[in-house]
Amino acid sequence: MITLALDIITTAAILFIVAAGLLIVFGVMKIVNFAHASFITVGAYAALVTSRFGLPPAWAPFAAFLAGGLIGAATERLVVRRLYRRPLDAILATWGLGIVIGQLVTLAFGREVQFVPAPISGTLAAFGVDYSLYRLLLVPTALVIAGLFAGLLNGTRLGLSTRAVIMNENLAQGLGIDSARVRLITFGTGCGLAAVAGALITPLASVDPNMGLAWLIGAFMLVMVSGGSLLTLGLSCFVLGGLQVLASTFISPILGGLTIAVLAAVALRLRPQGFARA
Amino acid sequence: MTFTRSLSALLAAAAASTLLAGSAFAADPIKIGVPVGLSGANSVVAPSVVQSAELAVAEINAKGGVLGRPLALEIADDASGAAGAQKAFDSLVFQKKVDVLISMETSAARNAALPIVTRGKVPYIYTSFYEGKSCSPFMYVNAWVPEQQVPPIVDYFAKEKMAKTFFLIGSDYAFGRGMLAFTKAYIEKTGGKVVGEEYLPMDGTDWTPIISKLKSAAPGALITSTAGGAPNVTLTKQLRASGVTLPYGNLAVDEGTAKGMGTDAEGIFLSASYVTGIDSAANKTFLGAMQKKFGADLKTPNDLSVPEYEAVYAYKAAVEKAGKTEASAVLKALADVAVDGPRGKIAMSQQHHAALTMYLGQVQADGGVKVIQSFPNVSAGQQCPNLKP
Repeated sequence: MITLALDIITTAAILFIVAAGLLIVFGVMKIVNFAHASFITVGAYAALVTSRFGLPPAWAPFAAFLAGGLIGAATERLVVRRLYRRPLDAILATWGLGIVIGQLVTLAFGREVQFVPAPISGTLAAFGVDYSLYRLLLVPTALVIAGLFAGLLNGTRLGLSTRAVIMNENLAQGLGIDSARVRLITFGTGCGLAAVAGALITPLASVDPNMGLAWLIGAFMLVMVSGGSLLTLGLSCFVLGGLQVLASTFISPILGGLTIAVLAAVALRLRPQGFARA
Repeated sequence: MTFTRSLSALLAAAAASTLLAGSAFAADPIKIGVPVGLSGANSVVAPSVVQSAELAVAEINAKGGVLGRPLALEIADDASGAAGAQKAFDSLVFQKKVDVLISMETSAARNAALPIVTRGKVPYIYTSFYEGKSCSPFMYVNAWVPEQQVPPIVDYFAKEKMAKTFFLIGSDYAFGRGMLAFTKAYIEKTGGKVVGEEYLPMDGTDWTPIISKLKSAAPGALITSTAGGAPNVTLTKQLRASGVTLPYGNLAVDEGTAKGMGTDAEGIFLSASYVTGIDSAANKTFLGAMQKKFGADLKTPNDLSVPEYEAVYAYKAAVEKAGKTEASAVLKALADVAVDGPRGKIAMSQQHHAALTMYLGQVQADGGVKVIQSFPNVSAGQQCPNLKP
């Protein structure tokens, strides 16, 4: 019972970490970044490079944020910025961008599965059960990420400009806010966050050029259901992730794999605004 | 005068020697078709398979070829899938008109390609381990089937680790389910008990609920059969992160993947017909020759590439026994010949399959595989009772 509760909480935390970058891009720019999966991969390889240089594993998420953010900002300049008024084309373009990044990673590192040593191994005896310490650590990590972004969005000048752009871009421009710069920073941050997620899941997943892809559909569905805010994203991760764990435990893991996609589709059919307030 | 004479003698000798060399290979080459996944999922292993074939062909040609004819390789990319395999087999059989096909394939690709092999009436030596019971008069198999791979691990766990209960985890696809279905039947036949059997889809990444079930079932041993590569690595990492220290047999791991998993792989038991650590003269000669031919580009020989090397020799022996490359004569001879290779002496004499020496290995801290026990001449069992030999 306690194991089940921990399974649900840690699963929700991992889903939140993975989906947060996608949410930020979608929330501000109203485009879906299908290259998200590739930025997760980029982050994992950043962790790989960090460990190859013998740097402490704690640096990996920062290196990943830097790598993902810079590549993300560059692609915003080169590709994405031309497509803001064509969201459907942007889906195609970012999907293609994802393939390009995946192939570049393959060229640089090869197709095979790579190994990154885990920063922490072993279990923690908590509430009477032995549980994976690293999974438990991802819960506060998710809270820190959420806190940082809530703070950035609500407590800084940049956050204010960003919220202005979200609400009404034309008006914001009229007030002298450089919306192109806001978009550049947002896209870079979103990609950087995807890369952080990649670095954080490497101790639990394989590092290979296609590793991000498995997370994409789940993250996409969660963001759609959440309707665009960090709080509702947390809620949808908890509800849908929890149902996934329950389905996997009590029915079958194969059905569990479908839970998020199917339930998200059903939820959006019944309530198009998802978890967001109408 | 003497100078001219000796010069002309020299010239004559030179001419004769080129003539000789020429005559050895004046005949058309015997074409060996090798359809493999140079792109897609199999591209991790395909280059090592091609290198094996190249070494075998180079060695045989250096010793005068087969029946005075050289061997030539025709490599075709099948993109690791069924549709790609159909194209690759079709072009090899009907356009390149190869005399024989020798390669590893995924089960889906093999099943898709077999009708083409039958239509073209070309001998096909299948060199990949697989789930068993694929039968065609045109196909021979020199790699392992579940009857050969599973018993060493189960028997070792039951006898040496005193395991009475087993938990099985796999990827949800034909090979994963097929292997574990056999494993379950074998465990129950030998008096053990299966206390859990769980599958995750191929693209699944979170094994947590399954691991929680595993821990609450508290079995004596764990046996897994995932898809190779990512699912295998993900499962192993998450098992280790959850502190699972049971005897852990992995039906899908090979030496290369074990190295890739680093310290997480330590202690895993595997069962294979080839590991690089086989302590035999034939294996050392083979490894030395591979190293010499490919140097820094060498892909580590493995349980999928070594059967390719041996199969080329098996084909050579069959053609020499038949005295011709005509398909039906070669197919008949393939059942009778035995080849000494890195894996020992192998004959595809059991209903188109081969008895094999299997090795139980355990992954060491440095990623190498130590042979714990070998099981000589494990029978392939009843694979194709309806085929003649």
